[in-house]
Amino acid sequence: MAITEKMTKTTTPTHWEGDIPVRFVYTYGLAGETFFRAIKDKGTFLATRCDACDVTFLPPKIYCDRCFEELDKFVDVGTIGHVDTFTVTFKNMDGSDKAKPRILAMIRIDGTDGGIIHYLEGISIEEVALGLPVKAIFKPKGQRKGGIEDIIGFGPVE
Amino acid sequence: MGMRKVAIVGAGITKFVRRAQETGKELSWQASKMALDSCGITLDDVDMVTLGTAPDAFDGVHMKGEYLADGAGAHRKPYMRHYVGGGTGVFSPIHGWMHVASGMADICLVVAEEKMSSCHPHPQGAFLTIFDHTTEQPLKPTLIWIFALEMNRYMQTYGISKADIARVSVKNKHNALDHPSAQVAEEITVEDVLASETLCWPVNRLDISPASDGAAAVVLASERVARRLTDKPIWIDGVGMSIDSAYWATRDLSYPRYVETAARMAYDMAGIKEPAKEIHIAEPYDPFDYKELHHMEGLMLCPRGEAARLTAEGYTARDGNLPICPSGGALGVGNPIAATGLMKVIEIFLQLRGEAGKRQVPGKPTCGLAQAWGDLMQMGTVIVLRS
Repeated sequence: MAITEKMTKTTTPTHWEGDIPVRFVYTYGLAGETFFRAIKDKGTFLATRCDACDVTFLPPKIYCDRCFEELDKFVDVGTIGHVDTFTVTFKNMDGSDKAKPRILAMIRIDGTDGGIIHYLEGISIEEVALGLPVKAIFKPKGQRKGGIEDIIGFGPVE
Repeated sequence: MGMRKVAIVGAGITKFVRRAQETGKELSWQASKMALDSCGITLDDVDMVTLGTAPDAFDGVHMKGEYLADGAGAHRKPYMRHYVGGGTGVFSPIHGWMHVASGMADICLVVAEEKMSSCHPHPQGAFLTIFDHTTEQPLKPTLIWIFALEMNRYMQTYGISKADIARVSVKNKHNALDHPSAQVAEEITVEDVLASETLCWPVNRLDISPASDGAAAVVLASERVARRLTDKPIWIDGVGMSIDSAYWATRDLSYPRYVETAARMAYDMAGIKEPAKEIHIAEPYDPFDYKELHHMEGLMLCPRGEAARLTAEGYTARDGNLPICPSGGALGVGNPIAATGLMKVIEIFLQLRGEAGKRQVPGKPTCGLAQAWGDLMQMGTVIVLRS
């Protein structure tokens, strides 16, 4: 078959199906353990800071990736940030249309050099813009399990 | 060959454990930071970074090399991930050596990481699909199958018993009692090994190394920089690699010819004519106890079929004529695949420096080697170090 020809019948060769049957157990890590515990118990974000490199990591790291020094002081940076960039998702994984388009944004948390990727809630496509101030919306405390899904999304700052 | 001399000048290693709370990045950082601190340099001094880590399916992160990069100190530096299966950990310093010997870097940080506990319920699951999907996978093979077939062939060819082989596990788990990173160090007997459950005859549970989480790192430097950093550089005098076919059923399983080929390449480079005499100490890869013997023979450290007898006579003990796996090896320290190979290189580095503490072998060795083996039972990697 020449390189310019298109294979249209992919089922023609005799074939069978297979899979790679592996599952995983992940740990939060030392920084992640502290970060997600603060989300679960206090509904706030903790960051670590490297004074020498003038970088505030969110999500936090236990080391500065610039100078490799250990970072062991966690600071509460609150839950307010602004939209650094965003996209609107129209399709599901299988190619079907979403019932309602969703806005996924990278939110730069104020006072940090880091950010969180999450959905925007209560903000329309017409309203969303770079620089828009937003605030994290958490699930009720009793429903939080310590994970990124404890955050429902980011909504308007009242 | 017009290449520069390269030395190992620093090393770091985490504890090897069954499940680390740390992420793979955090483990990589711990080992790397320790390595930099050990030779008094900072990340600023590092020109290039190379990282060895085995299948992405272990950590459960596709493109694991990219994921681990900032933990390995690669932030905005030239960086490459390499992978040759179980042979990775000894390939790691060879890869770093290429960067420094070629003149591309004066200082190269070499990191090896594995977080096998992510793969659930056991990393063996990730091995189910390494086999040929047409001729082997339908038979539902496990990794232990191949080892069992190879171990049996090796035993029958040379008339070696399971007890002869079990002595390796006893020795290595004993040696590991003195290693601060050790996961499965203990005093056991040959009878304990033989009485442990049979997984796939002739392989019993205590014939096998554990699944582990851990990381290791070394700092490589060019001759000029190495002499400035330390009074005790350990020189990489020979490196070798060799790969056989993944179709393992076509080869003689009683002898790892590809390990011999890799060793010959390293010995030629290091000017070694009689390895059994010139190598004073060795860390061959020992994921299974018989593999230590198999590899000693492939490395030409003893005649074929003789490694078991030498082990029984104490020749390979820490105070024997040719100490083999004085660290405690994969069987005793643990086996976070890529990190294990680099742990072995670090053991030779420390032994040649006279800094192995309670593990120090007598006789002031000046020439040692580390070897790893992997991919689909087909890859040999060898490194020869001298003080």
